[in-house]
Amino acid sequence: MTSVVATNQTILVVGGGIAGMTAALEAAETGKRVVLVEKNPWLGGRTAQLYRYFPKMCHPTCGLEINLRRLKANPNVQVLTLAEVTGISGQKGDYTVTVRLKPRYVNEKCTACGDCAQAVATEIPDAFNYGLGKVKAAYLPHSMAYPMRYVLDPAIIGTPEAEAARAACKYGAIDLDQKEEVVSLKAGAIIWATGWRPYDAAKITPYRYGEFPNVITNVEFERLADPHGPTGGRILRPSDGREAKNIAFIQCAGSRDENHLRHCSRFCCMGSLKQTHYVQEKYGDEGKSTIYYIDIRAIDRFEDFYAKVRANPNVTFIKSKVARISQDKDGNPVCWGVNTEGYKRYANTHDLVVLAVGMEPEVKGVDIPAEVMSDSSGFIMADPLNGAIFGAGCATNALDVNRAVQSATAAALRAVQVVNQIARAEA
Amino acid sequence: MSDKKHAAYICAGCGLGERLDIAALEAVAKKEGKMQIVRTHPFLCSEEGVAMIRADIESEGVTHAAICACSRRAKTEAFNFPTTAIARGNLREGVIWVRPDTEEARETTQEMAEDYVRMACAEVKAMTQPAGNPNTGMNKTLLVVGGGISGMTAALEASKAGYKVVLVEKTGSLGGWAARLHRRVPTREPFKSPEDTGVADMLAAIEADPNIKVYLNATIAKTSGAPGRFKVDIAVESGPTVTEDIGAIVQATGFTLYDAGKLPHLGYGKSPHVVDQAGLEALARAANGGPIKRADGKEVKSVVFVQCAGQRDASGEHLPYCSGHCCNTSIKQAIYFKDANPDVDAVVLYTDLRTPGNGEDFYRAAQNRGVIFSKGVVSEVVPAGDGLSVKFHDLILDDRNAQIEADLVVLATGMVPNSGVNIDSLTAPQVEGQEAPAEGEVKPVSILNLTYRQGPDIPQFKWGFTDSHFICFPYETRRTAIYAAGPVRRPMDIAQAIEDATGAAMKAIQAMENAGLGRAAHPRSGDLSFPTARLEGCTQCKRCTVECPFGAIDEDEKRYPVFNESRCRRCGTCMGACPVRVISFENYSVNTVGAQIKAVNIPDEFENKPRILILACENDAYPALDMAALNRNCYSAYVRAIPVRCLGSVNTIWITDALNSGYDGVMLMGCKHGEDYQCHFVKGSELGRYRMSKVYDTLKGMNLEPERVLDLEVAITDLHTLPRKIDDYVAKIQQIGPSPFKGF
Amino acid sequence: MSELNQQMAARYKNNFLKEIEEQAEMGEWVKMCMQCGVCSGSCPTHFHPGWEHPPQEIFMMIRAGKREEVLTSPSMWMCTSCYNCYVRCPRKLPITHIMHGIAEYAYRLGLAPKMQPTLHLSQTFWNNCIKTGRVNEVRLTQSLYFKDGFMAGIKKGLEMKDVALGLIKAKRLNILEALGFGHKCKDVQGIHRMLAKARELEAKRKGAKAQAA
Repeated sequence: MTSVVATNQTILVVGGGIAGMTAALEAAETGKRVVLVEKNPWLGGRTAQLYRYFPKMCHPTCGLEINLRRLKANPNVQVLTLAEVTGISGQKGDYTVTVRLKPRYVNEKCTACGDCAQAVATEIPDAFNYGLGKVKAAYLPHSMAYPMRYVLDPAIIGTPEAEAARAACKYGAIDLDQKEEVVSLKAGAIIWATGWRPYDAAKITPYRYGEFPNVITNVEFERLADPHGPTGGRILRPSDGREAKNIAFIQCAGSRDENHLRHCSRFCCMGSLKQTHYVQEKYGDEGKSTIYYIDIRAIDRFEDFYAKVRANPNVTFIKSKVARISQDKDGNPVCWGVNTEGYKRYANTHDLVVLAVGMEPEVKGVDIPAEVMSDSSGFIMADPLNGAIFGAGCATNALDVNRAVQSATAAALRAVQVVNQIARAEA
Repeated sequence: MSDKKHAAYICAGCGLGERLDIAALEAVAKKEGKMQIVRTHPFLCSEEGVAMIRADIESEGVTHAAICACSRRAKTEAFNFPTTAIARGNLREGVIWVRPDTEEARETTQEMAEDYVRMACAEVKAMTQPAGNPNTGMNKTLLVVGGGISGMTAALEASKAGYKVVLVEKTGSLGGWAARLHRRVPTREPFKSPEDTGVADMLAAIEADPNIKVYLNATIAKTSGAPGRFKVDIAVESGPTVTEDIGAIVQATGFTLYDAGKLPHLGYGKSPHVVDQAGLEALARAANGGPIKRADGKEVKSVVFVQCAGQRDASGEHLPYCSGHCCNTSIKQAIYFKDANPDVDAVVLYTDLRTPGNGEDFYRAAQNRGVIFSKGVVSEVVPAGDGLSVKFHDLILDDRNAQIEADLVVLATGMVPNSGVNIDSLTAPQVEGQEAPAEGEVKPVSILNLTYRQGPDIPQFKWGFTDSHFICFPYETRRTAIYAAGPVRRPMDIAQAIEDATGAAMKAIQAMENAGLGRAAHPRSGDLSFPTARLEGCTQCKRCTVECPFGAIDEDEKRYPVFNESRCRRCGTCMGACPVRVISFENYSVNTVGAQIKAVNIPDEFENKPRILILACENDAYPALDMAALNRNCYSAYVRAIPVRCLGSVNTIWITDALNSGYDGVMLMGCKHGEDYQCHFVKGSELGRYRMSKVYDTLKGMNLEPERVLDLEVAITDLHTLPRKIDDYVAKIQQIGPSPFKGF
Repeated sequence: MSELNQQMAARYKNNFLKEIEEQAEMGEWVKMCMQCGVCSGSCPTHFHPGWEHPPQEIFMMIRAGKREEVLTSPSMWMCTSCYNCYVRCPRKLPITHIMHGIAEYAYRLGLAPKMQPTLHLSQTFWNNCIKTGRVNEVRLTQSLYFKDGFMAGIKKGLEMKDVALGLIKAKRLNILEALGFGHKCKDVQGIHRMLAKARELEAKRKGAKAQAA
């Protein structure tokens, strides 16, 4: 049975992406007790699945390393993975929260030695790589996974393979009797940092995502470019494994569109500008990128990043929302549309099309088990009616990483205010 | 010394027992490592294994433990003994996971493992477990400089958390820019109409808040001290200077609108009917919801907004950046007109309309009211008749000679940060009496007037903004416990400034709390170690005070360094810089690393087994090596890796000592430096590298090939390339041949 | 220039957008376009050989006050009502309807291009249809074939003769329609009264709209 130490001076943080980790750490490093709940078996969220950040072109795993070190060093934070909040009752300063914990089938004895994976043959889609590759059903989610422990996929539970995995583990780390459990804990304030999900590109029917293998999304492209990814960092197209050197980036795939997401997702312009660097990095002058856009939103000091990409002769900008995509006999996607600057028609053939899909708040369509205000896009909206439930990061707005961290730091203070108030009252 | 007790624990799990001769490792720890207790466990991180160590600490009095098992990055929860000095011998990720499991590799793999045991024993003996110094400053009053929206927010939010605040504003009233606005861009659903600025509510809240002390018409005359014990002199106009005791500082000094006078081609100055966004706010406030009138009293019937006026400028003449808020601001201002009179023609000329998030709803709301948006580049605004003629290139219709007549033109000029003195430009050589400023040039005025050795203000990032360079850590300035908030940090609108200032207040509160406990701030948060100097050996060379990336070290009147512990981030750059090696941390010193270097067994030149020292940054390079291991990417058994806090902490003595004692080569693995630097200590890797460039002279003096030292830039993702680079380097060293210093 | 055209041009002076909003069916949507171009790219006609001005450009021209160019343009008449633009428009503009609205307005002002085939067909069809309430297919075909002259008409007729014979054989074409026989509505007078009433209502509505402006 998992035991959680929490009181009404504890801050509960829901979501272990960069916003949730930041909120948890900022509060914990101010001396507050924090419980951090994450539904994946690992922390880091979507930033951990990025290859590089704009505008510095540095690696998100670098910041993750620092944040994990902060976490490992801080006894104030208790982390629950494979965990989801199922109920919240009470009010500001006095919440009771129920959390459902799914079994990992691997306990803290795991040393990440990998013997269990050797014993298992079944493969499952690699969730960390957005299903672009496969992993064994006994797997370490990624090289920087925290907790650094293997996971057994439920698919093999009850099969001889699970038994084989257990037999292979010398440390008694595999516990096939683990059951789903529900724990209840107290919290004075709650930070909701459940982040975002990429908009379902299949809903943008003229782009034929899911039907044409060489039409992929921006988050998938990150995995292709990443040395930790399924191709070891080579940009290969899914249909035939050929190097994709002529790549189209389609902006506002879902965003700024009343049929899909009515808001602008903010990060996708910079995301695609960044991804043209990947093409340049891998293929030099042989790599060609074309960005189809409505407005390039390289906001504030990112402008110089945009200017540099603009100056790259290997990158073409076309002011146009692509109308549709077809596929030629060689499996090459063809983008059809009109360059609105002067009405120039085009039907451009590319090796690969990357849809810059927008951000949909993860809370949309998923009930927060409490009364929380949200805006028309489904983002959490700050409101006194929310009590001491504070949104943080992309749960509150379409934000880039930098702003998500700011937002999370602010949310940490709002939560600290509540628990300090209780502490003062109880002192 | 007598109360020290050293122990080594060797793990035989995770394949270590099968791949290595554990008994031999035990012998090494005992005989060479001189460990008083040596124990092996088949599964050291298990409950029983940990209990064994804990029992030794409790009943055997073990004070120093060398844990020879997996990487220091793994099993941190298990091997957590807060009062015991711990060194980790990395036998798993450092040895067996990077070595092929073959018979021929067995010998060199074992040698590698034995060396790591030697190194862990040597390191732990040179360490002391830091106890921390809690007497560094207990003051928990927050100083907020600047009384605009950002400053007021920081003050109110800190107060709500129970902290006292001193709020200093240079003008006669609080409110800043927001107080000059008619309305603000909506911050809430449905994002359709401009909303109240909120300034009045904030003013009332501050007035009623006993935690907040406000100084108006006041500036900071002097800031001395350190986090938790700042002394701040506040100069109040027509009054005596007041000194406040302060724990941390939020600088929210805002921005100045870019001078539209520099845009004569857009008609500013030529016609009174060309205004900037502030000018339009003034007209809108005067109209107060009624029809907006121009300076000459005529009701405006047509207005054109020119976006990016003097912004996003590639010529180098104006602002190169985008100010982020101006598209929404022009939309808001166009709505002022439409709401007062729907028949006013309002046109926004833009190149990229930038309304992120729900700004898209605001954009639609303006279109719905009939505001016209045209993608075009304005070339000229000229007086025409009673009004103005705006000439532009219509990019959609590709009409180079498009023209609109308007009664009023609004220029969306950008934000220029009020960030004080650019101290980096001060570090350029200065000769007294020679710095006559250019005609008309206004010398920037310092905002904080810090008495720091390294200059009076926080270092600036780009274009005068005091932003952080880190994406994951946007609040990290280079001055501990001093945080920037609002548009002084980055161009931003009110909603963002409120969020930003709340976050900055959080960081400032945290800094005050940790200063009081003797704990370091980011990125080594919680670190209780701090640098101390044996001043009797100091030659007053000032390198430590000059190089400290965080301005932590001042100089006394005799030019000896004065360490301000709570300003320090524990990177060790001072230690690396010190030519006489008098600076050290309890658990990280010239000695802790030097002892490890000396502990490695150097085979003689006939064995053809080179030894190569790797000094790897613990933030990126060392994790990259670990992850290479996790993926079983093998590399040579001839390297010995030591993690360092930062390349900046690398003292050249380590390299010369290594080469003198017969190492054949040294690889330095640090983060990227330069404009897009990756170093978490900002300047550490750059300074380290600069220092290393001098090593080549030493090599020449020793008659050694320059290739014997390799400076490698490593990123955390280099898990595939790094092993190859190591092997390539080893091959090269083998080609050069053994070091002539072997055996001496 | 028609009288109505002069009237409208004078009333809206340099605010063509407003004129479209008030006078053209669905014209009030034009201001909501954000110039993404997905409509232009979605139009099935735009590649063979394309319009002079696709919808998004027409909308921009309206905002830029290019009244003459827009209203005399054949572009709006090219629409095949496939509705691709309508379903894809990220601003949910009923683009198909807007194009028809503008076309109709141009026709009303007498500015629509005279022998534009779509316009000609619509006009001929309408005139033909309202006579009896049913289309006289033979006469409709004749007037379409012979629109560019007698010889062209003969040529076109010969080209299509196999189709025509097939239709006659299948009793889908009554050759007697050429003489004015053939099917018609039972109450032709009623149809005419109905159409007259519709015109009256439409005129009243537009008048009211114009008054309000």
